Amino acid sequence: MHALVIDDSRAMRRIVGGILKDLGYTVTDAAHGREALDVLEATTAEGGALPDLACIDWNMPVMDGLQLVGAIRANPAWRAVTMMMVTTESEHGQIVRALAAGAHEYMIKPFTPDAFADKLSLLGLLPQAEPA
Amino acid sequence: MSLDVSVLVGAEQVLDIAGDVWSSLAGPEEVLVPLPASPAHLPLDALSAWVLVLGPWSGAVVVTTGASTALELTRALLRAADDEELTAEDVTDALGEVANVVGGNVKSLLTAPSVLGLPQVGHGMEAPTGEVVVQLDLSWRGQPLCLSLRSTAPTGVRGPRTPPTDPEGQP
Repeated sequence: MHALVIDDSRAMRRIVGGILKDLGYTVTDAAHGREALDVLEATTAEGGALPDLACIDWNMPVMDGLQLVGAIRANPAWRAVTMMMVTTESEHGQIVRALAAGAHEYMIKPFTPDAFADKLSLLGLLPQAEPA
Repeated sequence: MSLDVSVLVGAEQVLDIAGDVWSSLAGPEEVLVPLPASPAHLPLDALSAWVLVLGPWSGAVVVTTGASTALELTRALLRAADDEELTAEDVTDALGEVANVVGGNVKSLLTAPSVLGLPQVGHGMEAPTGEVVVQLDLSWRGQPLCLSLRSTAPTGVRGPRTPPTDPEGQP
């Protein structure tokens, strides 16, 4: 399974990417929403496989996470991409906004790797373990 | 409408937040130790990272530590090997993210909607000044670190002052 991690912090991209790789994902990353759209557009144009999961930070320069969620949701070709906000924005109203915009799940920073895996499990996006 | 943040956010809450942030970002075994009896003696090359909180209370959440500590923290956040070369940009990014996550969680304690700015990093003196609401002097891996909440507007201010008038409306 493949994930796209979008966060303006390289440290967070590495932390989230590391958790995803430990769970069996391959990972691509982007530093903001516009860069993420460039990745998705290029993948679509090349006929490549879109990410199964997009982990999206909220507060980013150029294009923030909420705008990105709306842009992904608006494109029918990208409907299969599951979007999870990964953010410090924890107020109820913000969570409602994100889910209304099209996000499928919400992860509040800080989080443990186990809590992250639990969210993916809820989404049915925990890669199956290789048979022995 | 203004907000008296000191009623909503205290030192213990900020310490709890910081502890969770450290164990999540730097590693589950990492701890922050309060220095109750003495201030954190920060070196002259101290770096600060901060995020602004804008709303009924406006202020800054500031993380300050020595340059070498910031580098060590960066190595921990990036899970970088001891021999991996890290850049000033890496340090700026990592310290900024720490301030971002601490600041975001502090913001969540406020009862009124607020906006969190993007993290900024500079030398210690460049951080926003203002009335200190909370200051935590801490030790991480034996090195000093300071976390503070600072109001960038006077707390409890309800609006522009108007001169008192007498009962007949004369100033």
